[in-house]
Amino acid sequence: MAILLNQYYLQIAVFVMVNAILGVSIYLTLSTGQLSLGNAGFMSIGAYTCAILTVKAGLPVYLAIPLGGVAASFISIIIGFPALRLTGIYLAIATLGFGEVVRVIVLNLKITNGALGISGIPTLGTKIGKILSSFGMSKFGGFSAQQVSTLLVLVILLLVLAFLIFFCIRLNRSRVGRAFAAIKADESAAEAMGINTTYYKLLAFALGALIAGIAGGLSAHLTFFIGPKDFAYHRTVEILLYAVLGGSDLVIGPIVGALILTLLPEVLRSASNYRLMIYGALLVTMMAFRPQGLISEETVRYWKGKLGRGSKQ
Amino acid sequence: MITMKKGLIKWFSGMTIGALLLTTAGCGGGAAPAANSGSQSGEAAKIGVISYLTGGGAAYGQAIKEGLDLAKEEINAQGKVKVDLIYEDSRGDKTEAINAINKLINKDNVVGIIGPTLSGEMFAAGPIADQAGVPIMGTSTTAEGIPALGNFVFRNALPEFLAVPQAVEKAISTYNLKKVAVMYSNNNDWAVSGYKTIESTLKKNGVEIVATETFADKDTDYSAQLTKIASLKPDAVMVSSLYQEASLVLKKAREIGITVPFVGTNGFNSPELIKIAGAAADGAIVASPWFPGKQDEKVQKFIADYKAKYNNKVPDQFAAQAYDALYIYASALEQAGSTTDRQKLRDSIAAIKGFQGVTGKFAFDEKREPVMSATVLIIKDGQFTELK
Repeated sequence: MAILLNQYYLQIAVFVMVNAILGVSIYLTLSTGQLSLGNAGFMSIGAYTCAILTVKAGLPVYLAIPLGGVAASFISIIIGFPALRLTGIYLAIATLGFGEVVRVIVLNLKITNGALGISGIPTLGTKIGKILSSFGMSKFGGFSAQQVSTLLVLVILLLVLAFLIFFCIRLNRSRVGRAFAAIKADESAAEAMGINTTYYKLLAFALGALIAGIAGGLSAHLTFFIGPKDFAYHRTVEILLYAVLGGSDLVIGPIVGALILTLLPEVLRSASNYRLMIYGALLVTMMAFRPQGLISEETVRYWKGKLGRGSKQ
Repeated sequence: MITMKKGLIKWFSGMTIGALLLTTAGCGGGAAPAANSGSQSGEAAKIGVISYLTGGGAAYGQAIKEGLDLAKEEINAQGKVKVDLIYEDSRGDKTEAINAINKLINKDNVVGIIGPTLSGEMFAAGPIADQAGVPIMGTSTTAEGIPALGNFVFRNALPEFLAVPQAVEKAISTYNLKKVAVMYSNNNDWAVSGYKTIESTLKKNGVEIVATETFADKDTDYSAQLTKIASLKPDAVMVSSLYQEASLVLKKAREIGITVPFVGTNGFNSPELIKIAGAAADGAIVASPWFPGKQDEKVQKFIADYKAKYNNKVPDQFAAQAYDALYIYASALEQAGSTTDRQKLRDSIAAIKGFQGVTGKFAFDEKREPVMSATVLIIKDGQFTELK
């Protein structure tokens, strides 16, 4: 137990959670069959809005993070109207361009401090630590205050993630979820059935942006510092990879993808210079053998059949 | 037939991956005993190093590693204190730096940390070390506000806001500058911070800025900016960027007939600048704590040892500052009299005064900023020489 509560493992677990939330955000846009590469851009909007609100305006974190999400979602609706007229690869290119535009705007604004980024962002861990110490608690049965506060951050993130998973599962069984699935299967057919495709596509897009914005706000408050480089093109690819590796049929897919892809570089740390090579090789193998991702509906059905009733989902 | 083929492919790639994993595992195994051999002789102090070892900036990380390895060998040979270095790669990425620092502090239980390479990484990693109470020292983090991150955060890299004014002021007095043009890379945090220093120094000295032009890292065409600058006929041009961009700026500027001196931030301080820009680099001015041509026994010995160890390579300032950093740690460890007490180590680092390293006399002020002087250098005939 004491080994598991090592700050190093806790920190990795925290990053896994944030990335899993990002995985949910890409899942939501993918659930209507739209390949959007704007998630890093929305994450950036969320992170910066949130960081500026807490550092410069002194807003409490629990208000600033949802506000960051709302800001990202708002922007997504504005750009969503024209962008969602595009489909497939064209939408991907347009949203990729959007991400770059956000990065360059952030780079040139005064309030975002340009390339220098915003440093000295209070982290959730230190905030919780302060609250704990104000209650006069500094030791917790052999664990340091730092460990306990990181653990609490982890619990908060876990709750957020659990809520998102619950939300997605409920969504899938609702009218909205059925509409998403219909659009994903065949947009023209869905339209012929009387589904307002623009509305539902925009809804999925905005929900994805909201969650990406929240994840951005969370990550700003976990890493002390954000700069424009953090939300560049490579971040988008990383987020997309969660869905590619894990599969985008079910919400659990991108989450598993995020888990594996966040843990992998750390597990491979002992391989030092070779670790990125191994990482790349694994992804190529994935593409070759399971292009649908690790977890698809068939996988779940297969395991359900094998394990009998009462397994996952 | 198809299934057979598929089976074959699966089998083949399975083998390939297996082989890959085996070789890497072998590498890891091979490296481990070498790292342990240092710690066998009693209680070697474990110092963690976070460096940019793979990726775009790996050249900096490599130079830092070489400087540290050389210092480690010498310190262990002298035998007053024993140090053991544990390297972690950060790839220049802040989340990687956070993971690396948590691993070093909580898993490897290091007594102190050297690195990370970039200021942006330090802004993310520094507070973690500070919270955990582990001294951390950046050897190449020059942005403003780094030691302000916390009581355990140090640096021995001369920050831009101390080095750049020396070069600018020296140029103003030597060339009697009245109006200058300024150029900088606006998507590089470090270059922007250098630009701000240039601007404030010029204002303080009453020099007029006739033009401020920006570009981005990895740009290759600077003709628009330089043509505009040429038409304004400034007395000098000040550039804040890394050496890749700086050399191209110099080349283009000389090509379109700007012959005035160029004053640069630390990006100018690289042998690569001369290599790329060639004759165009002549007249470039930079302030540097590290000057390989310095007539100093310690400096010359370091260069000779470094050349002998690394294939005749001349150490750059990254190697020199890393080399000094480990010596600072060693002397602090000696003072502290313990190889595991982080608090004691922190206090004795903070108390360092009159340390003589290859980058000159060194001390920390009360804000944990380095107190050191820089030499103002000018490139003449493809050589860095002191500007007098």
